[in-house]
Order: sequence, then structure tokens, then C-alpha cells
Amino acid sequence: MSALLVQDGGPLTTIQDLGRFGHLRVGIPTSGPMDREAFVLANRLVGNADNAAGLECTLLGPRLEFTDERLVAVTGADMAPTLNGAAAPAWQGLRVKPADVLRLGPARSGVRAYVAVAGGIETPLVLGSRATYPRGRLGGLDGRALRKGDRLPLGAITAARPLRVRPDRIPAYAGEAEVAVVLGPQDDRFTPAGIAAFLEGPYEILPQSDRMGARLKGPFIEHTHGHDIVSDGVPMGGIQVIGEGQPIVLLADRQSAGGYTKIGTVCSFDLGRIAQIKPGGRLRFRRVTVADAHAMLRDSRRALDTAIE
Amino acid sequence: MTIWPEPRLLPCGDRALSVELGDEVNRELNARVLALEYLLHQQRLPGVGETVPSYRALLVYYDPLVVGYDALSATLRELWTRARPDVLPPARTVELPCCYEGEMGFELAAAAQKLGLSPDELVRLHAGAEYYVYFVGFTPGLPYMTGMPDRLTIPRLQNPRTKTPPGSVAIGGVQCCIYSIESPGGFWVLGRTPVRLYDPTAADPILLRAGDHVRFRAIDRAEYDAIAALVDAGRFAPRIETA
Repeated sequence: MSALLVQDGGPLTTIQDLGRFGHLRVGIPTSGPMDREAFVLANRLVGNADNAAGLECTLLGPRLEFTDERLVAVTGADMAPTLNGAAAPAWQGLRVKPADVLRLGPARSGVRAYVAVAGGIETPLVLGSRATYPRGRLGGLDGRALRKGDRLPLGAITAARPLRVRPDRIPAYAGEAEVAVVLGPQDDRFTPAGIAAFLEGPYEILPQSDRMGARLKGPFIEHTHGHDIVSDGVPMGGIQVIGEGQPIVLLADRQSAGGYTKIGTVCSFDLGRIAQIKPGGRLRFRRVTVADAHAMLRDSRRALDTAIE
Repeated sequence: MTIWPEPRLLPCGDRALSVELGDEVNRELNARVLALEYLLHQQRLPGVGETVPSYRALLVYYDPLVVGYDALSATLRELWTRARPDVLPPARTVELPCCYEGEMGFELAAAAQKLGLSPDELVRLHAGAEYYVYFVGFTPGLPYMTGMPDRLTIPRLQNPRTKTPPGSVAIGGVQCCIYSIESPGGFWVLGRTPVRLYDPTAADPILLRAGDHVRFRAIDRAEYDAIAALVDAGRFAPRIETA
């Protein structure tokens, strides 16, 4: 059977699809790729459906061996991919043959790279998804990150020609980003000075950041009266401000509910930018209205749909 | 009074909004949240995605390319007028065996001392109460419950643990929770249930649901071990009654 062989898993390479939906109400996170746009482009480059399972590689990539002929694409963080030792271009479909070895190195820019293989990875569906949630040991391969010796079953392929992302659409991960944020649901629990400090920034991404959340350090955000609330649901991209007046942006593997004030929510189309900032990189928040955000979401979908040539 | 006369609709980015019905831990308020969630899913409104009920708010995910914020808000306001507890299906009562002995209840003695009770009295009061599950979450399957006698109200731990074994039954403030996966914790651990609240290998990995009632049955270590063995073999089902 067709498989992808893991010669070296790298520090944190997980199987992801677009996510596991319908179980947040019992505390099971959506998971899925931290940079949705890069993930979807990788799938489209090899002719897969957007939701086909692929790999998310973190800071340092894996070494993978193929067992048959098919297309593969690498997007996201620049991990200087090589095919059988020779530099191979990212952001385009590549044809591989049996015994070919794809290697991703340390991230030169960005944090998370995506590998899509034509046919997709076909580990078992768990609650309707193949996304890995390591803390809950759910999905992916035995609910864990990949390691040496793993054998990932691949789906059947249909004839497809390799595509590429238009060069002007390849994101440059600058180590700094400005992201759109809608204030609320608890912006009324912050003083005007607190909100102003938050919107002024910048905030540095701390090394403790992970798939649950990006921990930030920067200007003190002042509360009106304490940081505790009667616990409520934590939206994707929700920005909790804890006791020290510092924000945490909650991401794909976040807790479903929490008892800290949330000053705002990062818009869905900008979450991938946060996922690609290395620790030490900086982030600014730009306030938008819900109507602005919906217009920007439409633009971002259109940009995604026209990125490939 | 911290139940709002009208729901507050609060945006949560471009793909979610929170319907806040009040600002306190109150069963009537929570039942209205659960009723609103129930009615919303019955409505099958295109573009409505996941929902996350909590004590006093319902978080609703939506696809703005399918349903607009204003249209969704109008629907939620209309449903709220009908969101009464009697629309909900009958509640379940789940009986969970709980061992309060030795390492299973590693903070029982300290909590008893803090409360000015003997450990036996604390066990009797804790196991004698009936608990209500407001919602499930934080980690997969973890129930947020109240129901303890006022005597058991206790401040949270000053220094939260970094690791709590799954199944640990613990109290903090007026709340009782059961840790569902190994996780940090700030509640006092009184005992442990051998039943899995979250089992990633099961077809339905989550045991408890928002709106459930929970009773604990005190068991000794031998019975804990016996039930744990049955759980491992996939041959234990906790007793569940539907009202």
C-alpha cells in the first residue's frame, strides 16, 4: 500500500486537516493547521481537496521517503526543502518517485511549514477528522507527533499536473505582523488607557507560545476591576488578558472556555500570520469593525482563490 | 440581579459571537443558555457552526459568507424569548464511583482541616450531595459543577499543581470538577473516579453533558481497582438514569 515513510519526525510534526468540528461544546478543540492559508495552498498545489490531511512541521522539518510516484508540495515557513539532497522549490507541486527523500531543514523564516501529498494522508478519521490533538491524544497517528519509523498511509491519486503559487503571492514572513482585531467580548472591562496601550503595542511573541496560544509581552493593559470573569467560551483568536496585564492569543488547540477577560479577538484570516512569527518577533493589533472584518475575510478568500497559476 | 433583561450580543472576531444572558453562576440562567443552544440547533440555520455553552453565555460560531451578523443576531434574539428550561430534553443523572482513600484523595485531609471538618465528615458531605453540570470543557470532558453544601466552600489552592491525575474529583470555591486529562489544577483533590470522563479511543469519548446531574458513590480502594480493570477492558458503564 502507498505510504509516506518518516525517516525523521523533527521536533513537532503533526498530521492536520482543516479541523475537528462539533465537539468544542464538550471541550475538544478544533485543532487543524495554525496557518490555514498556507495549508490550503499546499493541498491545492497537488490537486487535493482543501480538507485533505497533510503535515504541519514546526521550526525544524522532517525527513520523508516516498514509496510511489505522486505530487508533493511544501508551503509555509521557509525550511529550505531538498529532494534527494538537491534544493527543491517550495510553493509548487513537485513530482516524486519511489525512494525519493524530501527533507525540510530549520526554518529560515516563519515557524510552520506544510507538506501536502497528492491523495492526502489517510490515517483513521477520529470524530470526523484526522487532525492531531496531542494533549488529548486524539487523531493523527495515535494522537501524537510523528517519529522515526512511522508509516503514513496515503490516499488514491488522480491525474493532476503540478501547479505553483504566483511568486508575488508567496508570503514573506518578516518576523513582524499587524493583525486585525475586533474588540470584545469583554472590552468593557478595560480602561481607555488599557485599550489604547493594547492597540499601540507592539507585543513580542514569547518562546512559551504553542498551538494552544501565543503568549505576548508588551505594554501593560489596564483592567477596570480585575481579570476574573464568570467563565465563558473562548473563541478562536480570543485575546485573554491575565493578571500581569499581558495578552495571550488563543489558537487551534486552545481550551474551550476560560475565566479571564478577553479584550478582543484576532480575525480568522490573520491567525496564520501569528502562527508564522518566531519567538522574539513582534505583533501589533489594528482595530476593525465586524463589517470591516467580513469584507476583509472576503478579500482574503479571493486572494487565496487566485494565488495559484 | 445579574440576569440581563435582554441578551447582550457581543462580537468575537469575524466568525463568532457571544450571547450573554447574565453575569453569575446560577442554574436558571445556565438552563436558559442551554435552552437557547438547543433551539438554535433545532433551527438548522445555514451558516451556524459550533456552539459553546457556559455558565451565562452561548458562544456561537458562524460563517459570515453564509449568514450575516445582523441576521444571526435577530434570530438569536427571537429564540431567546422562547429559551426556557422546559424546552430541554429530560436531564440525566450519572452515578460516578469515587474513591476518597489514600493517594486517590491526596488533599482530602488538608481540605478537611481547612474547612474544620474531619476527613470522614468531608467525604460524607461531598458524596451525599447532588451536582449539576453547567457545562463541559476547558479540557475535553471536564464538568463544571456545583451542588455542594455551603459548608464545603473553600478558597482555591494558593499554588496550583502542575499535574493532576485524570479522574481526580476536586473542589474549589463553590465548585466541584473532575479532571479529565492530566493537567494543571487549582482545586483540592478529594478523591478519584475510575470512570473515564474522556476516552479518546471510544466512539463517543465524552461521558458528561451540560445539564446532567452527577452523584458520587464512595468506594474503597479494592472496588476502585476492580472498576478500573473493567474500564480498561471496556466493560464498565456507569449508571445513568433519565428523569
